[in-house]
Amino acid sequence: MSEKPNDAADRAKSEAVPLTRVVSNLLSRNSYTLLLLLVFGVEVGVGIFVIRDLRTANVEAQRMYAGSVLGLRRIGELQYQAQETRRSTLYALTTNDSNLQVEYADQSREADRRVTDGVREYLEQARIPREVEIGQRLRLDWSAYLRVRDEVLASILEGSTREAVQLDLTGGVPSFERVRQDLEEVKRLYDEQASQRLAIVAGSSHRSVVRLIAVLGFTLLFASASIWAIQRSKMLSEVQLAKLQMDFVASVSHELRTPLAVICSAADNIADGVVEGKEQLTRYGVVIRNQTRQITELVNEILLFASTKEREVRYHLRPIKVQQIVESVIENTAELARSSGFVIEQRVDPDLPYVRGDLSALSQCLQNLIVNAVKYSGESRWIGVRATVDQAHGRNRKEVRISVQDRGIGIAAPELSQIFEPFYRSPAVSAAQIHGTGLGLPLAKNIAEAMGGTLSVESELGAGSVFTLHLPVTEEAQLQMAAAAPGLDQLQKS
Amino acid sequence: MQFGPRVLVMFVAAVLLLKAAPGRSFGGAGYAQTTSGQSLAIIVNQSNPVENLSFTELRRIFLGERSHWPNGRRITLVIMPPGEPERDAILREVCRMNEKDYNNHFLHGLFTGEVFASPKTLSTPVGVRKFVFNVPGAIGYVRTADVDDSVKVLRIDGLLPSDKDYKVQMQARPAK
Repeated sequence: MSEKPNDAADRAKSEAVPLTRVVSNLLSRNSYTLLLLLVFGVEVGVGIFVIRDLRTANVEAQRMYAGSVLGLRRIGELQYQAQETRRSTLYALTTNDSNLQVEYADQSREADRRVTDGVREYLEQARIPREVEIGQRLRLDWSAYLRVRDEVLASILEGSTREAVQLDLTGGVPSFERVRQDLEEVKRLYDEQASQRLAIVAGSSHRSVVRLIAVLGFTLLFASASIWAIQRSKMLSEVQLAKLQMDFVASVSHELRTPLAVICSAADNIADGVVEGKEQLTRYGVVIRNQTRQITELVNEILLFASTKEREVRYHLRPIKVQQIVESVIENTAELARSSGFVIEQRVDPDLPYVRGDLSALSQCLQNLIVNAVKYSGESRWIGVRATVDQAHGRNRKEVRISVQDRGIGIAAPELSQIFEPFYRSPAVSAAQIHGTGLGLPLAKNIAEAMGGTLSVESELGAGSVFTLHLPVTEEAQLQMAAAAPGLDQLQKS
Repeated sequence: MQFGPRVLVMFVAAVLLLKAAPGRSFGGAGYAQTTSGQSLAIIVNQSNPVENLSFTELRRIFLGERSHWPNGRRITLVIMPPGEPERDAILREVCRMNEKDYNNHFLHGLFTGEVFASPKTLSTPVGVRKFVFNVPGAIGYVRTADVDDSVKVLRIDGLLPSDKDYKVQMQARPAK
């Protein structure tokens, strides 16, 4: 087998292809799980959005309560205390008892202290310029009123009632009116802010509802689509399986009919006395024996595939020398190759490590690949068998690669993912009257996987194909090999 | 030894006097503080610019003979009701009058126009203090223990209540 110049690139390609296939297989095998995970992920994502919306609405509602409802309550209290300040001052006018007048003055001062504190708090909490402006104006107007109030109180306590009334009418009433208007403006501002926040809360709630509905709708749609896709996939699988089974039956019938017809014809000739002489009888016997063997092999292949598929086969795993596997296969297929005029070129790297596997099964696997190469090689009549050791792609271990290469008809790219499906027959192959059961490659693949390895393919339509068996090199196999040495080679050869 | 009714009456009177002597129970205000050795603080509003008064000026003010402060504010005199030890002390030490003469002085003064306004009467020291706090032109008196930051204490002849030789005392000073 000749080494290509771009061998490294080919090798990289051959390593990349199995990875994509592995991913593809993983996806196809776990499609339901992935679908469920996807739905779950969507649900979680949507849930997070809805929770975020609800939380925003809640925060806005709390802000509205803290900023507006509490603010309105506070401003109501300020209005009451401002009125109380003025009321107490005027009450002092209603009596001549100095003791009572002092009490009223006390009450007025107590109330005005609360108003002053409230205005200071409002200014401390003011954020927007309008709040600050109103707060500062309120503070100034309130101070102005208090100055007049002090004069009025002093006049009342001095006994100058007339002067007190005059002062209140000229100074107290207008200044208190300004305070009242300021407080009304603060209240209006709180109302406006409350309205704005209410609008924000309403908007947020509306958004939440819309999103929730959208999410539920999407989920419903997605779930429906998923169910439909699953059902369709199942149906298609069943249809495909039925078609494959029918194809298989047709193929097997054809495969059986040909040797049976030959056997039947030979038997008829013998029974009818057409066959005369020992030599002719022997020739007919050989024909019958060969055709019977062909039928037996076909039936065995079917049974073997069924048993590997059901994992009924119990492989005897042990350390095997790679050279031994290759030699065994070449020996088994030598007659077939010779009779078909094929040249098998083998190239096995020296000092290949041992692999752990079942010799018979691995031989069967490689034999299927070589038989396929013989079938589909066309006129090239050349088959290459190569065994190497290399780093496993994406894994921290080494693997032995045994590849079977032909220069035959090749496989179209879209069919590469289907050729390992049981009973699959390429339309091109069927059209070319190349008979087969469609079980050879699936059987080889099952065996490879049972040995802990994989089977990969590279092919180009019209240029040929390379099937590679990847077998892991395990430390366990090396250890067993070392333990069994040196008599192991003799044992295996025997 | 025999005791007659006169002796008995004298004994009861002596007991009552002993009980009354330590505190100011006559005024009915119930202060437990002793009056002995206490000064009376003359208080004005914190806004009043006056810091010091001569004893003569003080007397004129308490007799209603002065109507305005130097800053033009009307003077409002605050006193306590009759029977209170503080009032007794002021009448005795400042006005040098008894209750009857004081009342007559104001009645006469208001009638003749010599006195401009009758004093305001507050029943408690706290009331007096609050009144002074509220009225910029007010002047009153309280015991030194009843003074706080809301009012200003005036010097009399340059002396504060805590100073020696301060003249406005609760207890009559012994004659020199």
